[in-house]
Amino acid sequence: MNHDEIVSGLILELRRGTLILLVLSQLKEPMYGYNLVKKLQDNDIPIEANTLYPLMRRLESQGLLKSEWETSEAKPRKYYKITDDGLIVLERVVNHWNNFSKNVNRLLEDNNEK
Amino acid sequence: MKNDLIERYIYAVTKRLPQKVRKDISNELRTLIDDMLAERCGELVPEEKDIRVVLTELGTPEELYEKYNPDNKKCLIGSPYYSTYKYVLKIVMICTIFGVILANIISGILDFSKSNSIENVVSSSANFIASLITNLIISVGAAFGFVTALFAFFYHKDIKIDTTSNLDSLPSVPEKNEKISKVDSIISIGLSVIFLIVFLTAPQIFCVVMYNEFIPIFNFETIRQTWYIIVMFSVVGIIRDVVRLIEGRYSKKVMITTVAANIISGFLSLWWLMNDRIMNPKFADNISKIFNNESTFIINIFSNFQYFFLGLIIFALLLDILVTVFKYLKNKEK
Repeated sequence: MNHDEIVSGLILELRRGTLILLVLSQLKEPMYGYNLVKKLQDNDIPIEANTLYPLMRRLESQGLLKSEWETSEAKPRKYYKITDDGLIVLERVVNHWNNFSKNVNRLLEDNNEK
Repeated sequence: MKNDLIERYIYAVTKRLPQKVRKDISNELRTLIDDMLAERCGELVPEEKDIRVVLTELGTPEELYEKYNPDNKKCLIGSPYYSTYKYVLKIVMICTIFGVILANIISGILDFSKSNSIENVVSSSANFIASLITNLIISVGAAFGFVTALFAFFYHKDIKIDTTSNLDSLPSVPEKNEKISKVDSIISIGLSVIFLIVFLTAPQIFCVVMYNEFIPIFNFETIRQTWYIIVMFSVVGIIRDVVRLIEGRYSKKVMITTVAANIISGFLSLWWLMNDRIMNPKFADNISKIFNNESTFIINIFSNFQYFFLGLIIFALLLDILVTVFKYLKNKEK
């Protein structure tokens, strides 16, 4: 049995939703894509640019993020920021995450103690 | 060279993306690659080697395209259509192969019966095998293409064939008289396929033996000229039966499809059989001769065989509409 393959598949599934949560939470202030990649990586949340860029675009099409090209700097960059709808969604999802992760951790710990 | 590689990469990623996002994604990628190069090289001017590393890190253009592609229907036929597709395809394939072989054997027998020398038998056998193989390849290909195109259309146009999205809309378990038998639908699809193949490849099957001679009922030339009507007739029938097979009960969708399909089929048969040249003139002549003008009733039936045939078809189609509408209404009352 190839454990590595199964583990990486499971980790991928676990990450998918939490990454969206993180991206939304970090964009209360406008940021450009690579800046966010760096920030997440600095906080030990490794993410590839080729995942984040399409993800932000998808969140924008869902109306959770908005974007604007900033052309006044030397390099034109696309800045993303959370929308009002995004904030409402974020708050609810964060609440869910807090409860859910608390319960998951409690159960996992109970199991370990036995 | 440096810019060339980056531009080629960006072009490869974006060329198949929708027009309206292409420019934006290109600009975004250009800035991103620039940022990644700056991170890697700092103040130094990036070399081609650095560009290659950065682009490799981003993934192949194909991978990146897949991530950007907003279309979630990335396959020709996906769930929940795929299982029904496989099922129907299997039936149609079996019927096609069976029908082609049947049609070829019959036309082969008719050919052999005409050959009176060894050379003729040899050339008939060679013809038989050659035409069998050609017909098999063409028919199997066409049948596969048709079924696939039909289901791809269902899938991409989101034509709902399953309405189990919420608990209240779950259909009740069909009672015995409400169910459409799968076997019936399958046989019906099979007959449509066989009918199509036989009419297109061996219309001489419909013949009678008179004075030791095979007299075909239909005029081959006209049948060949009106092939599209026969194809439409079968296709409409197959669509109707596929819907029945998928629904499995006398639902509204089945009722509507049946009524529409049968009306279309009725008009198609009318169009086809009202053509004066559809019958073999020799057939009617011989019939009159055989019965020596004794039984005018039988002569009438056979010399007006096409109208008799048309009447039968329209009667069957009407009966099917009536049964379907009746069963639908009866089950709705419950």
